[in-house]
Amino acid sequence: MKRITIIILTCLLTTMATMAQTGLNINRLFDGRYKKAAGATEIIVTGVQAREIGLTVYHSLSVTDKNQAELVEGLVVKDGAHAVDKEVEYRNGQLYYGFYTMKKSKRDNRYIFYLNQNLARKSPKNIVTLIYMEGLATQDEIKKLIRK
Amino acid sequence: MNNYHHINTQTELEQLIDRYYDGETSVQEEQELRQCLADCPWSSEVIDGARFTMGYYAAHTSQQQRAKRRSNRLRMTGIAATIAIILGIGAFTLWHQQQPGDVCIAYVNGQVVQENEQVMAMIADDLEKMDNAADAMTNQLSSLGEAIELDNQ
Repeated sequence: MKRITIIILTCLLTTMATMAQTGLNINRLFDGRYKKAAGATEIIVTGVQAREIGLTVYHSLSVTDKNQAELVEGLVVKDGAHAVDKEVEYRNGQLYYGFYTMKKSKRDNRYIFYLNQNLARKSPKNIVTLIYMEGLATQDEIKKLIRK
Repeated sequence: MNNYHHINTQTELEQLIDRYYDGETSVQEEQELRQCLADCPWSSEVIDGARFTMGYYAAHTSQQQRAKRRSNRLRMTGIAATIAIILGIGAFTLWHQQQPGDVCIAYVNGQVVQENEQVMAMIADDLEKMDNAADAMTNQLSSLGEAIELDNQ
């Protein structure tokens, strides 16, 4: 009976581990709700094109709606609380820029970028951008990528 | 039951038991009877009574229980293996679904953009914005550092 319990538990844990890898709060935003929404831009790149920029997943979202922007900021801040490394800048009590390095998902590194252009000093725009990146790229490689 | 010289059928066993009670069995027959009561699968009022009297009932019962337990264990292992296979297939399917395929798509104000070059240009634009913001932060930090340095001179 012990052996049976061990087999079942092992299988359950494997399944749970597989499901837990995407456990970020921002994933709620990537459920397809913005694909047909006005004032929103969602980009999804995986596979060959993502590998060209050293990633396995590139997923971004830009919204102009104020309520949606607040939702995005809230979820980013929640995930940011669990980041292993972060660079953030707040302006007027609001998150302006954030670069978060999250816990690895299996072998891939995971990064979240956030930018609220409404808080920019030069030519502010009513756009909040969230980028989720996943891949083998290191933090330095990601920084090089955004400087290309 | 060919192992026994005097017992080939259940009836022969019952007859031997009767003879045993009447004190008509030889030493060899008695040994065979004891052996048979311990090993054979036959069961009747006379046989079980003899087993009980001669102290083999418990042994026989425990043999039957052991066989039953073994069969139960096999059944449970089969069920567990089936569950494990189902869970394994489930886990593999989940894992497979989560493996990224080739996707390069953008949704802009509800409009689909599928041209790779266009999508990659949009990514470059997003990254540039991030770069500018990161630069602004770095510049702010360095000017803060410079100000502190000047103040200390």
